[in-house]
Amino acid sequence: MSTTSLSPGSLVELRDAVRDTPGPVVATGAGTAADWGGAVAADATAVSVAGLSGVIAHNPGDMTVSVGAGTPLSDLQATLAESGQRVAFDAARVRRGATVGGLFATADAGPLALGFGSLRDLVIGVTVVLADGTVARSGGHVIKNVAGYDLAKLLHGAYGTFGIVAEVVLRLHPVSAATRTVALPVADLAALPAAGRAVTDTPVEAGALEVVDGRLLALLEGTEAGVDGRATRLVELLGGAAEVLSPADADAAWDAHRATVDRRPDDAAVLRVGVAPTRLGDLLTGLVDLGGSHVTAAPATGVATLSVPADPGVVETVHARVAALGGTSTLRAHPAGADVPAWGPTPTSAVVLRSVAAAFDPDQRLGRGRLAPWLPVPTGASA
Amino acid sequence: MTSMSTTTTAASGTATALAREFAAVLPETCVITDEVGLRSYECDGLTGFRQVPAVVVLPRDTEEVAACVRICARHRVPFVARGAGTGLSGGALPVVDGVVISLQKLRRILEIDVENRRAVLEPGVFNLDISRAAGPHGLYYAPDPSSQQVCTIGGNVAENSGGAHCLKYGFTTNHVLEMEVVLADGSVVTLGGPTAEQAGPDLRGVFLGSEGTLGICTKVTVRLLRKPEAVRTVLADFPSVEAAGETVGAIVDAAIVPAAVEMMDSLAMEAAEAAVGAGYTVESPSALIIELDGPAEECDEQFAEITRICEEHGSTRIHVADSADERARVWKGRKAAFAAVGRISPDYIVQDGVVPRTRLAEVLAQIATMGSEVGLRVANVFHAGDGNLHPLVLYSESAGEHDKAEDLSSRIAELCVELGGSLSGEHGIGADKACSMGRMFTDDDLAVMQRVRTGFDAAGLCNPGKIFPTPRLCGERPGPFRPHPLEEAGVISRL
Repeated sequence: MSTTSLSPGSLVELRDAVRDTPGPVVATGAGTAADWGGAVAADATAVSVAGLSGVIAHNPGDMTVSVGAGTPLSDLQATLAESGQRVAFDAARVRRGATVGGLFATADAGPLALGFGSLRDLVIGVTVVLADGTVARSGGHVIKNVAGYDLAKLLHGAYGTFGIVAEVVLRLHPVSAATRTVALPVADLAALPAAGRAVTDTPVEAGALEVVDGRLLALLEGTEAGVDGRATRLVELLGGAAEVLSPADADAAWDAHRATVDRRPDDAAVLRVGVAPTRLGDLLTGLVDLGGSHVTAAPATGVATLSVPADPGVVETVHARVAALGGTSTLRAHPAGADVPAWGPTPTSAVVLRSVAAAFDPDQRLGRGRLAPWLPVPTGASA
Repeated sequence: MTSMSTTTTAASGTATALAREFAAVLPETCVITDEVGLRSYECDGLTGFRQVPAVVVLPRDTEEVAACVRICARHRVPFVARGAGTGLSGGALPVVDGVVISLQKLRRILEIDVENRRAVLEPGVFNLDISRAAGPHGLYYAPDPSSQQVCTIGGNVAENSGGAHCLKYGFTTNHVLEMEVVLADGSVVTLGGPTAEQAGPDLRGVFLGSEGTLGICTKVTVRLLRKPEAVRTVLADFPSVEAAGETVGAIVDAAIVPAAVEMMDSLAMEAAEAAVGAGYTVESPSALIIELDGPAEECDEQFAEITRICEEHGSTRIHVADSADERARVWKGRKAAFAAVGRISPDYIVQDGVVPRTRLAEVLAQIATMGSEVGLRVANVFHAGDGNLHPLVLYSESAGEHDKAEDLSSRIAELCVELGGSLSGEHGIGADKACSMGRMFTDDDLAVMQRVRTGFDAAGLCNPGKIFPTPRLCGERPGPFRPHPLEEAGVISRL
């Protein structure tokens, strides 16, 4: 990335910056995921959306909020908490100041995805600036809305290609009155799917279900009496070594989970993988044999995060093994200069990705290189 | 504009040539060219719009669908995919001289994967049959459009269908993991994968709700949920629509997310009661059906809270449906309400606008005024929890009230947009509301959506004439764009 950097303070300035800057442009926010995905073109001008920050409109009665894409999610959560509301989303890197736009563009998600989905499910409207300076909106301020194409979905996980998100409208949920965490030791990764089902087969409805450090953590959210009863029941149903964690132990366990997911090792590559839940245990067991470590896994959604040696061959193998199961994999944090592949084998849908990209940004100015080789850098363009 | 009257098939020579090509890839019985056969495909649930297609084909698997699409692509003939034809916005309305590709022969449930909690389906599977097949395993498919007994999952994918319980559980887009899609050139791609979380742009999400304009879904994998342990349902009468609306607000303020909150006014209840005898109080100005589900202890606690809130807001009768049969009866009335309106009016139009929930009382008052101004009755049945209105405009075709009713219905949808809402919550834009899109979106917004369409279908053969306003459909120009109220108030800005 070049040292040139622009910091527009409004939608108009963002539009002008994108339209009038020659050559490739990369959108930046808090910089918490700058090395995720494919490497951006070396001569790209950074256009920061950090100046588009703050709540535009919060409608507590409608449980919606619109914000600038550069709003740090942790700031937004603090504001919303005053009304007893939240964005039901808890990606690990939120703690490092990640912005709403960045979390959305990288398709990040946290444990609550089990109950609430990811930002793809929570964003109900979006304002985007295209490479040619066109400003467009889709969706709106109501949760239920099927009018027109849902452009937000195209931009979710697009890493700033197709367009730069300027504003988003989010649906909100109430902050839970109470939570409990039930922990259950898990012997090994192969036992992970069965451990997950042991919880999901009960009626207690876990809001998040994650394995970290040899334990399965089940988060229960609800009313004080409700979570108390559910936690007690879950421990009884699971039997054996299951226990309700004290509030301090629960906080520590979830902090440890976030720290593991959000690792930025200087000698390893962090990968996010997803396969059908029943395949997750065997996949991860094999990846640990390959040198994988620091595994966190969600046995009910099939998604896991792990570190592997920052070796091109190893990362390639991870992508290939996941793809063989029909799954999904993305490169996250990795040592600067490690030439490891960001994406797995090119999916059949890449043909659509490419033709839509041609219609949105024919010179591929925005986020050039981020989705390569799914979206190849145009011939003759800087890479 | 597509005429109200039926147009006979033009260019029959082309139709004959096409039919010959289709017959080379399909059994003869799967190619319909006779007038009577074609006529049964001339409209969907929006019966005011009719167009007889040139040919109807009934492929039996993905390869046959792709072969049919390739023939259309080669001849540059537009095609329209069709499921059960229950859509209410004309999404499956045929195109002049175009082909209808019916998915009704792709109706197998390919897999119920209990351990991974998902079902793999062909597009012609009925929505309710998914839950029927999953039921013995304690699982179900959450999105439940009122037409779920007869609508297909392929149609649900096209329309991003909702239903009464999407307040808590979300819409079709929140439940589809993976799709096999035949693109407009006849190639086959996979969108999505075995996990909800996906690497890269979410093309699956773009396709969902695109109303058949981006390709044809030939296989779909959906998530199944465990049936909740407890379900509590209450039917509460209120002395006014406002009181019912305030009750919904108070429930939200109490941080309770019910599985469903439905509101009916007296006219809707009168109709539903006459049809199915659901136990509604027809004299009551309004009533709410509130349903909670989840773990038993929490459900009971919140149910007591909801009952208290209803009483506080002056509920005149609280009827707890305390058995599965009784619950089914209460819901049967609600789900039958649309059709039941036929008992109190010879004809009616179903509208589908959305307003921010806090503006419910305001929009209902305005709708009542607009109705009385033109001398038409409007019954209201709707998803109160998420502000999705279903005003039923009652009229008499024989009394020549159609155009007046159609105009009122359109104005109601546009009013929803003015109040910060949407033209459609779940029925889609289709042919019905394409001309109103300019009220909700700018030319730039729509042009960017068109770029998506170009990316998927450069030739524009896939269900053309839907969603987007066209001069042919809407006259010279669509209605003018009006700024969002928040923009007018200076709260948000476009530029």
